[in-house]
Amino acid sequence: MLVTFLDIVIAGLLLGGLYALIAMGLSLQYGVARVLNISHGEFIMLGALTTWAFYTAFDINPLAALAICGPLAFILGFIIHRTLYKRLLNSSGSLALFEGNSMLASFGLMFIVQNLALMFWGPEIRGYSYLAFPVDLAGAVFGANRLVTLGFAILIGLTFYFFLTRTRIGKAIRAAAQDPAAAGIMGVDINNVLAICFGLGAAMAAIAGMLISMSYPVHTGMGLEYTIIAIIVVVLGGLGSIPGSFIGGLLLGLIGSIVTYFEPGLALAAYYVIFILLLLVKPTGLMGKS
Amino acid sequence: MLEIRAVNACYGKIQALWDVCLEVREAEIIALVGSNGAGKTTLLHIISGMLHPVSGSVTFLGRQIDNLPPHSIVELGISHVPEGGRVFPDMTARENLEMGAYPSRAWKHRVKTIEQVYQIFPRLKEREKQLARTLSGGEHQMLAIGRALMSKPKLCLFDEPSYGLAPLLVAEIFRTIQSLRDQGITVLLIEQNVRHTLEIADRAYVLENGRVCMEGDCAELLQSDHVKKAYLGL
Ligand SMILES: Nc1ncnc2c1ncn2[C@@H]1O[C@H](COP(=O)(O)OP(=O)(O)O)[C@@H](O)[C@H]1O
Ligand SMILES: [Mg+2]
Repeated sequence: MLVTFLDIVIAGLLLGGLYALIAMGLSLQYGVARVLNISHGEFIMLGALTTWAFYTAFDINPLAALAICGPLAFILGFIIHRTLYKRLLNSSGSLALFEGNSMLASFGLMFIVQNLALMFWGPEIRGYSYLAFPVDLAGAVFGANRLVTLGFAILIGLTFYFFLTRTRIGKAIRAAAQDPAAAGIMGVDINNVLAICFGLGAAMAAIAGMLISMSYPVHTGMGLEYTIIAIIVVVLGGLGSIPGSFIGGLLLGLIGSIVTYFEPGLALAAYYVIFILLLLVKPTGLMGKS
Repeated sequence: MLEIRAVNACYGKIQALWDVCLEVREAEIIALVGSNGAGKTTLLHIISGMLHPVSGSVTFLGRQIDNLPPHSIVELGISHVPEGGRVFPDMTARENLEMGAYPSRAWKHRVKTIEQVYQIFPRLKEREKQLARTLSGGEHQMLAIGRALMSKPKLCLFDEPSYGLAPLLVAEIFRTIQSLRDQGITVLLIEQNVRHTLEIADRAYVLENGRVCMEGDCAELLQSDHVKKAYLGL
């Protein structure tokens, strides 16, 4: 009984760490840059498939692929914001209009990225085996790759927390999230900060994709499910709250793990139910402000 | 030091400023008075680059700035205490001050400058670890003023810094603004308290319906029948 309970909790944290990472990335893009990025999951897919390709074709260690995928995704995200979303922001006039326009644009981006990946990699389900040996945690047994995933999610979460609270650019990001116009008259180049946030969100997605590829099969159509989960977590944690996204991710992972224990097919359905209940009962989320 | 020539400004189809001209000389305190909706805040937004004029020009220290974004204008030495303070609610008082020193020329000296701001407003030192959202109205305004001083400005724009404060605090804010001039900081001040403002300022501009309708030395304006009737309630 106790082992079963521990089993569920640890499995939930393992899943939750991944959700937290994905949601923190989206939280930067939506909470600060105001882009409800439907193509978020496609960056996860790109990270996952690139890692798979590096590993199977060149025998590059997936954790080393991080050093390539992360910065590449950052640059890609930065450029996308500088070219596409910055223009949309300038032409939209109001923030409310921009939120609608940018979501539609990200929808388009999702199809473009997905179809390009489909042309390149095809629809097959891929996977590889890395650090797959079992580890015994007080009687509950987990793959080492899952534990590495959790470790990475926590490490990135902490690094990111220190980045936001201790560095000059991190403080500028928080200020821009709270009051972009006031941040501007402090000397913050808003367009630059928004592009950095978008790039960081993309980098986090790609890193999450790399971690996912270590434990789960991957394919070019995998992105959307993660986008939906990320949106649910961001709303659960409170729009624009990075700590909220982190805690919300762990919480949703736990819920997913409990539901999976009773009925494996119902996890995603349970997320939707929670999402709808939340919108009805507490639309500002766990740590959000009204 | 600052010269505004024939500026017209619009929000969409609504025109808020009409052919506004204004000049600020070094080490002056210039007052901008006018009733609600006259366009005072809009004019400050034009100066700090938050809104670009439809026509006309703004030059600061011989350089045209009306096409620059806000962050470049702060770099040149203009800082802005916006209407309502607009401090960052989820940052501590100290972090708010640090944000004021964001331009790279000021960032290097931020620790020292924060100490100087604490000398002006000792209350902020007591509150430095508190989130700005938990500060009182007076502390909030002191923080907004302190934050604007952090960039070591040559010209400081104040938009109703004493709005909603108790009389004792209002007097303190006015004293602080006066002392800025002694430190060589030029001031452009918007205030609801017209009499007090005209008493500490050198020159003033009166805005009505988006147009400058009077300008001159404060001593003269205090004597004018129109100012007495419209703004001093005499
Ligand atoms: N963001 C805005 N959108 C549309 N109209 C605005 C906006 N801000 C101000 N206005 C209008 O511009 C005029 C001048 O406003 P403002 O500069 O705030 O006046 P003041 O600061 O003197 O009270 C007012 O008629 C106001 O309604
Ligand atoms: Mg105003």
